[in-house]
Amino acid sequence: MRRKISSIALNILLLMLGVITVYPFVWMLCSSFKKNSEIMALEQHLLPQEFILDNYVNMNAHFNFLRFFINSLVVTLVVTVLVVYTSTLCGFVLSKYKFKGRNLIFGFVLSTMMVPWCVTIIPKYSMIQSFGWMDSYKALIIPAMFSGFGIFMMKQHISSLPDEILEAARIDGANEFYIFQRIVFPMSKNGISSIAIFQFLWTWEDFLWPYLVINTQEKQLLAVGLKMFNGQYSTDYGALFAATAISIIPVLLIYLFFQKQFIAGIAASAVKG
Amino acid sequence: MKKKMLAAMMAAVLAVTGLAGCGGSTEKKEAEEKTEAKADVPKEPFGDTIKYDLTVEINDGKDISIELWEWGSDDLFQQVIDGYTAIHPNVSIKLVNNPWEDYWTKLPLALDGEKGPAIFNIHNSYHENLINYLAPLDIPLEDLQADFTGVDAHVIDGNVYYIDYGMMTGSVYYNKKMWEEAGLTDEDIPKTWDEMREVAKKLTIKDGDKLIQAGLNFNDDFHQNYLLGLNYQLGENLFQEDGKTPNVNSDAMKQVMQMLVDMYETDGVGSKDFGEKGSDSFGQGQSAMVIQWGHFYNTLNTTWSDIDFGVFEIPTFDGEPYAYNRYNGESTFGVNKNAPADQQAVAQDFVKYFLANDDAQVAFNLAMSTFPAKKSLADNEKILENPSLKVLSEHIDHYIWPGPMPSTVETSLKKAGQDIFFNGVDIETALDEAQENIIKDMKNSSFESVENLYAYAK
Repeated sequence: MRRKISSIALNILLLMLGVITVYPFVWMLCSSFKKNSEIMALEQHLLPQEFILDNYVNMNAHFNFLRFFINSLVVTLVVTVLVVYTSTLCGFVLSKYKFKGRNLIFGFVLSTMMVPWCVTIIPKYSMIQSFGWMDSYKALIIPAMFSGFGIFMMKQHISSLPDEILEAARIDGANEFYIFQRIVFPMSKNGISSIAIFQFLWTWEDFLWPYLVINTQEKQLLAVGLKMFNGQYSTDYGALFAATAISIIPVLLIYLFFQKQFIAGIAASAVKG
Repeated sequence: MKKKMLAAMMAAVLAVTGLAGCGGSTEKKEAEEKTEAKADVPKEPFGDTIKYDLTVEINDGKDISIELWEWGSDDLFQQVIDGYTAIHPNVSIKLVNNPWEDYWTKLPLALDGEKGPAIFNIHNSYHENLINYLAPLDIPLEDLQADFTGVDAHVIDGNVYYIDYGMMTGSVYYNKKMWEEAGLTDEDIPKTWDEMREVAKKLTIKDGDKLIQAGLNFNDDFHQNYLLGLNYQLGENLFQEDGKTPNVNSDAMKQVMQMLVDMYETDGVGSKDFGEKGSDSFGQGQSAMVIQWGHFYNTLNTTWSDIDFGVFEIPTFDGEPYAYNRYNGESTFGVNKNAPADQQAVAQDFVKYFLANDDAQVAFNLAMSTFPAKKSLADNEKILENPSLKVLSEHIDHYIWPGPMPSTVETSLKKAGQDIFFNGVDIETALDEAQENIIKDMKNSSFESVENLYAYAK
């Protein structure tokens, strides 16, 4: 009986936490169908009193939404694929090869995660400027190709793969690249899903770096475009909410398809040392 | 299956939005094309003292591209660019739009190298961050002074790096419906603060002790719209004679602060707890009057379009103020001194075109709800059609710009007011603390007030 009561209490608590977490999103979604005066009205209602689609229809008044959306999608997918590949490769080398300085290199990789981004952003900006990569996707993709967090996660994950499988493949004549491509990569599906989701989300919502290095309007990314709704004296909340609601769909889709592997991957990386 | 359904639904939403977006994009493109096609090429030189000569070739007629960085309305800037490039087809100007807040992070970084924009939008609150990147304007000082007001305040060692194209200040916005319901007419528009307090009382509605409708609301912006401006009506500047020491604990400031306290606590025309922001409370139809700066006119027309409002000039204490209020300028473009010489030359020419072009000046001032600094536009028909500008036209020369004040002046006075209203601190102590705080914060500031350049300075 006591167990039943505590289970109900726990569920109620979790439900409340869930509602608290989801409510701002639902409010934003509902507000995207309201006029600005209703969004800022003294008397607030969750559902629109006057349902309008203008915020979605007129989204392009501030910037070319579809263009920015596609730009974001392309850059995010490219960065995610590259990070997944490089993280798995580095993770494989650091976990399955024994060589001098391996721990030192891993320590160095970990240390990159501990330097705050605001410290590195100005030297990074100067470097990109001197390379002549400003206003080009090279500035967004190349510095993001390697992720300290991704390497750490994949090293932890690949460590759990039995060495015997790799040894067996070697005995059968497989070369190291073949082993990586055909054995390690497919067996790291859960870890890869976690990295892919994290990296997709981070790149998708990254604002400052794309804003600093991209000048041409047609090349700009969605996270930067969303900021255009904030004016000097006022904000077009309705249009901002509409654009934000649409912009999170790719992230939701990614999570929807990889959630099982994501949860398994996170759990595995957390317990394997 | 469920997952597939959900994914399909999301994809459909994306597709529909994409199509809607494409529609908007096409419309925008069409509008741009129309603007481009409409850009007339003037036949004669134009301008007042600053004349724009159409016959002077730019960059010896060779093709050249520059970038113009700005925040705000693309269309507004694009119209000026289209007009300019119609005269000089060899010049191409790429417009780079930025979000207001982050512009000030990106711009100094870009200006530090040689590849920054040749020309960019300025706001004088960022003066100290930008001045070292600016090239002086290539227009004689006397010409600028002849055509624009407030130029003297922008002279640094004989050079001018930017001036104001418009002046923004505070006026009283009132809800016409509430005004009528209170039995008030145009005859009741107050000229003095005593009259204003009486009108505010009539506009206040209470249910017992509970405030239902505030006659006047200055929550959250009293420091900007009252404390930093009404001192001038009483003949006191914000800075002492040396131009560096603040003067925020002056008798005038105490008198203004006391009036604000009395309005809420004695007259009961509003309350510190009635709406977080006075401006929002006005838009929400809860407050009958607010003092707001020009930008509020645009906010009312976009966000609060249901409110039927009127505007009148800020009241004074005795009808003959030293100055009516403080103003702040909307600045003209800056020219990047680190840009290649040929790009700088185009940028300088573009600034000249902008200053000489009355249509551009009117368009920019209307977009920002600022009163034109160009003297010849003071009685421009389109400008006077805007009620928030019309009310300023009679006494616009009686407004003072103190210079690009460091933000501590505003924040310290805001804190003083909050201490008085919320923490029971007495007026004298709160203003003394603000004075000390500003002195401490401005220790390393190069700011020097230009209040002494006011046309009617004592």
